[in-house]
Amino acid sequence: MSISQAVEAAGDGSGSEFRRGVTSCAPVLFGTIPYALVLGAQATQKGLSTVELSMMTGLNFAGGSEFAAIQLWTSPPHIVLIVAITFLVNSRHLLMGAALAPFLRDLPRRKVFPALFFLCDESWALGLADARQRAAAGITPAFSPRYYMGAALAMYLTWVGFTTLGAVLGPMLGHVETFGFDMAFPAVFLVLMRGMWTSMAAARPWLVSLVVAALFYLFVPGAWYVAAGAVSGLIAAWLMAGDA
Amino acid sequence: MINAATLLTIVLIAGVTYLTRIGGYVVLRNRTLSARAAAVMEAAPGCVLISVIAPAFVSRNPADLLALAITFVAATRLSMLPTVLIGVASAGLLRHLIG
Repeated sequence: MSISQAVEAAGDGSGSEFRRGVTSCAPVLFGTIPYALVLGAQATQKGLSTVELSMMTGLNFAGGSEFAAIQLWTSPPHIVLIVAITFLVNSRHLLMGAALAPFLRDLPRRKVFPALFFLCDESWALGLADARQRAAAGITPAFSPRYYMGAALAMYLTWVGFTTLGAVLGPMLGHVETFGFDMAFPAVFLVLMRGMWTSMAAARPWLVSLVVAALFYLFVPGAWYVAAGAVSGLIAAWLMAGDA
Repeated sequence: MINAATLLTIVLIAGVTYLTRIGGYVVLRNRTLSARAAAVMEAAPGCVLISVIAPAFVSRNPADLLALAITFVAATRLSMLPTVLIGVASAGLLRHLIG
């Protein structure tokens, strides 16, 4: 019996595992919709076409980095800056993948590599929590690929669908500043950071980033404030880890 | 419809993002990170996010600063959707009232 057959035999029917994944993701999907609409609308205001926006959210599929990219978008885009910021925002995937790796050991790489394309905060959190629960309950294999893919694909389709809808509706909304829609960016980012919060000590590098980025924004022309703030925060994290 | 520089940027960010997704699985699955490297990786996303929105914290418009303070408090207590709604509504209203 191959590994994939073993995986399928262990679930109580593959369809129900997929559905279980979609269902557990549903509450998160409702929270994602307004956020997706705002990103789509903002992108059109920055000059992206609907097709370009759909390509971005469909190929990249990482909301935080897309918000950052759109926020920094100019015409033509500052490619090096946007790619570097994308890497920094998404560097958390490295830790997430490493945490998931022990549960993926028995899966063939030809299945793992496509599945990891759909790794996002939500599919990761759900997949990992489910695998830990199943491991505690003695179910093998602990990781249910179809459960993970149910959650991940629901998230993917919602994200790409509603960012595209936001781009279609965007031009009808007029200038976002008039209505305060631009405040959605800080709101989204602050909630994301609240989710990453562990302790006051662990958040000190964020404060360093904020102060340095604000100073650069005020006194240095261009979009260098993001890189300066991010790098100084990372240096602070490196130095502070020594006395922790 | 599709601009060459835009397409290049999208393809590059998509490639970089996919590398972060498989990187942890490929490189880190049989290793343990040093405490310092782990601390830096953990702090990185927050450092970037706060840097991107830093200009809002030094806005010259009092309405924007007040709206940001309200949004900040909301973000510490509420989930994504109510926080976004409160942020957008307070910025819209305060700009209208204070200008």
